[in-house]
Amino acid sequence: MQTGQEHTDRNGTGIASEYLTFTLGSEEYGIDILKVQEIRGYDTVTHIANAPEFIKGVINLRGVIVPIVDMRIKFKVGVPTYNEFTVVIIMNVLGRVIGMVVDGVSDVVALSGDQIKPAPEMGAALDTDYITGLGTLNDQMLILVDIEKLMSSEEMQVMEQVN
Amino acid sequence: MTHSDKNNNIDLNQFNQVFFEECAEHLAEMEQILVSLPDEGPDEEQLNAIFRAAHSIKGGAGIFGFQDMTVVTHVLESLLDRMRNHEIPFSTAMVDLFLEAGDVISMQLAGHRDGTFVRQEAIDLVRAKLQQVIDAGSVITTAESVSDESEPVVGETLKTDSTPPDKRCQFYELEFTPDPDIFRRGVRLENLFAELEDLGDLTVTAGLPVTTDFMELDPEICVCRWNMTLVTTASEADIRDIFEFVADVDQLQVRQVIEDNRENSCSDISGSTATVTEQQNHDPVATGESCADPAGAATGRRAYDKNELAPGAYGRRTSEAESSIRVGVTKVDQLINQVGELVITQLMLAQTASVLDPVLHESLHRSLLQLERNTRDLQQSVMSIRLVPISIVFSRFPRMVRELAAKLGKQVELKTIGDTTELDKGLIEKITDPLTHLVRNCMDHALEIPEMRIAAGKDPAGTITLRASQIGGRIVIDVIDDGAGLNRAKILSKAVERGIPASDSMSDEEVWQLIFAPGFSTAEAVTDISGRGVGMDVVLRNVQAMSGRVNISSEPGKGTRVTISLPLTLAILDGLSVAVGAEKFIIPLNSIVESLQPSPESLKTVNGRSVVHVRGEYIPVIALYELFNMDALVKDPGSGILILIEVEGEKAAILVDALLDEHQVVIKSIETNYRKVEGTAGATILGDGRVALILDVNSLLRMRK
Repeated sequence: MQTGQEHTDRNGTGIASEYLTFTLGSEEYGIDILKVQEIRGYDTVTHIANAPEFIKGVINLRGVIVPIVDMRIKFKVGVPTYNEFTVVIIMNVLGRVIGMVVDGVSDVVALSGDQIKPAPEMGAALDTDYITGLGTLNDQMLILVDIEKLMSSEEMQVMEQVN
Repeated sequence: MTHSDKNNNIDLNQFNQVFFEECAEHLAEMEQILVSLPDEGPDEEQLNAIFRAAHSIKGGAGIFGFQDMTVVTHVLESLLDRMRNHEIPFSTAMVDLFLEAGDVISMQLAGHRDGTFVRQEAIDLVRAKLQQVIDAGSVITTAESVSDESEPVVGETLKTDSTPPDKRCQFYELEFTPDPDIFRRGVRLENLFAELEDLGDLTVTAGLPVTTDFMELDPEICVCRWNMTLVTTASEADIRDIFEFVADVDQLQVRQVIEDNRENSCSDISGSTATVTEQQNHDPVATGESCADPAGAATGRRAYDKNELAPGAYGRRTSEAESSIRVGVTKVDQLINQVGELVITQLMLAQTASVLDPVLHESLHRSLLQLERNTRDLQQSVMSIRLVPISIVFSRFPRMVRELAAKLGKQVELKTIGDTTELDKGLIEKITDPLTHLVRNCMDHALEIPEMRIAAGKDPAGTITLRASQIGGRIVIDVIDDGAGLNRAKILSKAVERGIPASDSMSDEEVWQLIFAPGFSTAEAVTDISGRGVGMDVVLRNVQAMSGRVNISSEPGKGTRVTISLPLTLAILDGLSVAVGAEKFIIPLNSIVESLQPSPESLKTVNGRSVVHVRGEYIPVIALYELFNMDALVKDPGSGILILIEVEGEKAAILVDALLDEHQVVIKSIETNYRKVEGTAGATILGDGRVALILDVNSLLRMRK
């Protein structure tokens, strides 16, 4: 895993990073692979009182209580269905373990600096603040998410705000 | 010699911590022995133990470079050594002096560890006092020590060894073959060499007795052997002292060599006795005095060996070193977590297998049964790691009682029963303060002065008993005194005076509970020991914070017993699981009063909010589904179940769909990976692997408002 981070791109255009790509509805997203701890199926969650709709609840991950967020609800993309193909990406973000429900995990890809373009301002559901860029891979567009920034943001309500 | 100059910047901090811990242990041990000494003085074993503690502190301090700490310990050690050799007789005043010395060492230790202020004058004072005792004792030393020696030959040579007749320079050859792990133990050889150099003129050569392949060389493993020559006035015992904490006896060879015969003896490596004979053959002139010297060295060595084998003298290092290990609490907690997971997995397996035909899958069922037994045993063993004996707390009381008794002019005997009772480490730390308060209270208020006790026909010496025992899933600690007992009339009048509601019709138990009220004290005079009225309420609060209870029983003239009852561990909670809609919640059992199915006529509303009428009280109803914004099967209080709870005098009735079961649950934090959830005190994992939230009754009440 580490090698993708470290080796310089052959074309000499910046360092390549590896991304885990997943789908939310019809859109393809990517997050830094180093933030991913594991991928597992969707299990019954315990509902948390008075939590926003996209926080599905908490699960027991080998003795650790882990909150589960559904990005489809948060980003308003796709239809939140829960079946045997629903996947939860368990991530390690800022020292916390958080699970993210997605429609499916596709691949791990390495993108070099010149394959990533800045995202245009769209006023979309997903604030461009949380998008590091748009990656292109075989004519496919990847929305690269800064998962740390996103998860620690106030609107996610996953972490206690400092102020 | 450059060895002492380089590598001095190696970070020793990680080793320092170990030294601090060990030093604190040695001090505690020393103190414990000192206060338990009988009046006629310590026996051989006790004296050795005190000496060993002082010696270990000195040695450790020296190795870790806390030279200031060696000053007091050195004098203390010298004095103890003389006492061991019956050169200085024991006197009771010494106990206080030793305790004082222990305090000074603690102060120095705290100074190094926490950077607290160290009073230099106290150090000097104690040192001077110790030296004074040594000097006073030495007057009779010469006459007594000779007659005291049981083995004349060894005694003679020992004497020549410790005080050489002439201060002539001796020539020593040292061969030091340390064990391979020496570097891992954090030993710094350059300090050792520096110390040797202080004794005299030192030359060191390092050698490799076994050649290893360079590629396989592990820098942490010591493969070297050092040959040293030392010209000094010091005795062999002094040299060996330096190696005390570094080398075992067989790892260090010390040979004393006569100047002229150095070349000859250098080639001889068969040991000191051989060297001696050779010298005697080659140098008949030196037979007189110089012959005694190598003999001294040889027997000195033997005398040292004898010391090493003396009961408990030095041997502890090797015999008990492996009896315990230090492990971080986080590691233990991790282990407990993992075993908890294993138990849940085992339960899941058992659940899955229960639907299989027992005849067809007999062996599977048998194995699962075995697995269940094994996991249960494993869980018990792992939980027991966190448990520590209560003697850790009890052991601090003898000294406190001794000093307080002297201060108050009372005679007090402290008894402890059930020292080996174990409870959770977290609880041990928290129970110390309440117990201290209770014991102080006993000493100050409950126990009478000797004259009063004699007048009352009791033993002039009062007794305080600390008793710990495990009863079911709880630990019960009693603090019992045979003093005057609680004064009912006085407590009642004091309560009225302080504006605490009280009446003569109250039962004894209710009256005793009054002393837990904040600011309550019946002592006529406020002393620095107790009587400020902070005490019993703090005791109660601290114990309640540990989910414990306090009870008092007292009989006038006979004494008082305060009973503290605690759960075995803080990590586990007794709870009732309830269902609301699809979710399960745990309600802590200690806040539940009762559960009831209300009759329609007992339910009323106040401003649209439900209240339930129970035995003359109107109690607000909290509907969990409303509070938590969720679906429930039962939304009408009349058809559900109400759980009556009480926290800090406030009552409420929680509406739930159904009562499920009573469990012991392991408390887990939600905040580790998420934020605080209002109304909950954490979460737990149920037998089916699912998460259930534990309700925080206190915050539920606040949420409703």
